[in-house]
Amino acid sequence: MAMRQRSLTVDVPIPETVPRRPWRRVDREQLVGKAMLLPTVLILVGLVLYPFVYSIWLSFSDKTIGSAGRFVGLANFRYVIAWPQFSTALLNTVVFTVCAVAIKLVLGMVVALVLNQQIRGRNFFRAFLLLPWVMPAFVVYLVWRWLFDPLSGLINYALLDLGILKTPVAFLSERSTAMASVIVAHSWRAFPFFAISFLAGMQTIAQELYDSAQVDGASRWQQFRHVTLPGLYQIIGVVLLLSTIWTANAFEPVYLLTGGGPSDATMVYTLLAYVAGMVNLRLGEAAAISTLFLPLLVGLVLAVTILLHKKAEA
Amino acid sequence: MRETLANRTLTYGLLGLFVLMVAVPLFWMVTTALKPNKDLYEDFSYFPRRPTLEHFVRVIERDELLTNIRNSLVVGLTTTAVTVVVSALTAFSIVRYRYRGREWIGRVILFKYLLPSAMLFVPLYAIVTSLGLGNTLKSLMLTYLSFTVPFCTWMLMGYFRSIPPELEEHAMVDGCSKIGAMIRILLPLSAPGLVASAIFSFTLAWNEFLLALVFTVDQSTMTVPIKLSMMVVGDQYIWGQLMAGAILASIPIAILYFIGQRFVVQGLAAGAVKG
Repeated sequence: MAMRQRSLTVDVPIPETVPRRPWRRVDREQLVGKAMLLPTVLILVGLVLYPFVYSIWLSFSDKTIGSAGRFVGLANFRYVIAWPQFSTALLNTVVFTVCAVAIKLVLGMVVALVLNQQIRGRNFFRAFLLLPWVMPAFVVYLVWRWLFDPLSGLINYALLDLGILKTPVAFLSERSTAMASVIVAHSWRAFPFFAISFLAGMQTIAQELYDSAQVDGASRWQQFRHVTLPGLYQIIGVVLLLSTIWTANAFEPVYLLTGGGPSDATMVYTLLAYVAGMVNLRLGEAAAISTLFLPLLVGLVLAVTILLHKKAEA
Repeated sequence: MRETLANRTLTYGLLGLFVLMVAVPLFWMVTTALKPNKDLYEDFSYFPRRPTLEHFVRVIERDELLTNIRNSLVVGLTTTAVTVVVSALTAFSIVRYRYRGREWIGRVILFKYLLPSAMLFVPLYAIVTSLGLGNTLKSLMLTYLSFTVPFCTWMLMGYFRSIPPELEEHAMVDGCSKIGAMIRILLPLSAPGLVASAIFSFTLAWNEFLLALVFTVDQSTMTVPIKLSMMVVGDQYIWGQLMAGAILASIPIAILYFIGQRFVVQGLAAGAVKG
């Protein structure tokens, strides 16, 4: 009964008049209901649970493609942790995630605030500014690779034209600029998700709150600080967590822009796992790299799961 | 609300800046595809002076991109068809039936949707090769279900919950079976949600990169993203063709976005990652 009442939006309490059905019918119904779950359960067990467990087993084995693999204890973990590339990848993953999420948060918030004003053609601008998020990610990163091109890229041409640069910069293949360039390209792609989520949240904040704040003489900044922000806390939390998960596990920006170079300056953990497994063909070590990131990731994912589930049931 | 002039200037100034920020890379993608190689590498210009379609012709004829587009379409459409049917059944079961463990399955589904494939590509690769599915489109159709089904189920659960069960109960009083009521009442009412979930699962499959990169190795099985990423390392003066390919790869998504924008927004509002 609880479920049924919750899904209604009327305020009137619903009398419990649904007649009890004979148990046979209920029993059969339950069976049909469970049968409909079967394909999804098969998918979850076969393509998620089993690989998940298998991955943990792999990280304790010396399996390569074609060989069966023996149990080798913690050898993979010891090897991976001692590997200088792993510490580099760990650090780069953190730098990339923190910087990119921070930029997306600020940019997304400003874009949402602008779109929340009374501007002409708001629907058009909202759809237009969403384009980077709608485009396929691989397309976005290929375009940015071309924009950053040292010989014929637009960015170099424009900066030389404007007199900001004296000589072309190989943005993606110099240690000092590679990571920043990847972060810029990724932020360009992903800021609309923040903007659109914040905008949706802002539109649920009652206008009366702003009106009374104005009567009290609150400045624009005070209105933002004391009305808009508190109204968005929950959405900001969900968006930040989601984006942290996605950003920390991003593969395409680095693979397509720099391939992890120059000399590992942009190597992140997903790419390192890819290199270990698919280039060096050492599945055990690749699995060990993923497994080392597992506790952090599961923690983040659980946090969002609980937050979103609460929201869906509210 | 009264707006001061300074405020309006700031708003429109920032808006202009953001539009420019989004427009310039898009403009560059399109114009690069239309400029002859001479204008790209020797005689630089911001605007195309002699627009040509030669890059489109070359990417289709020399790079055989149509094969890859076909691969992507086959994988995307199959994944979508299976996903919509399976997700609708699962969401219906979770929302409209009562048995123990129902909520728990809902939670697992959301958890899986959030678990990135970077965590699972190594074991999935081992499993796919041991099933003899290495380097086939089937391996992609199968493994893509692991993220499209959880996502669409989660979305449809939200959608189905928003439709009062009384409508179906009335139909059942009139002699309809529970499944019949789902087909005649719930599914037609949820059409926007179903369209949205189809659009999302196609988009997810069309854009997927990591698994396709790991599972497929040659031209006959490569999907579009892998093909284009291989072209980058192949040749130096490739950008015209690459941008032409990038435009072709964006077209199906653009069409879906413009047709489906209404449904997607509605579907998202009802379920999924509600903003």
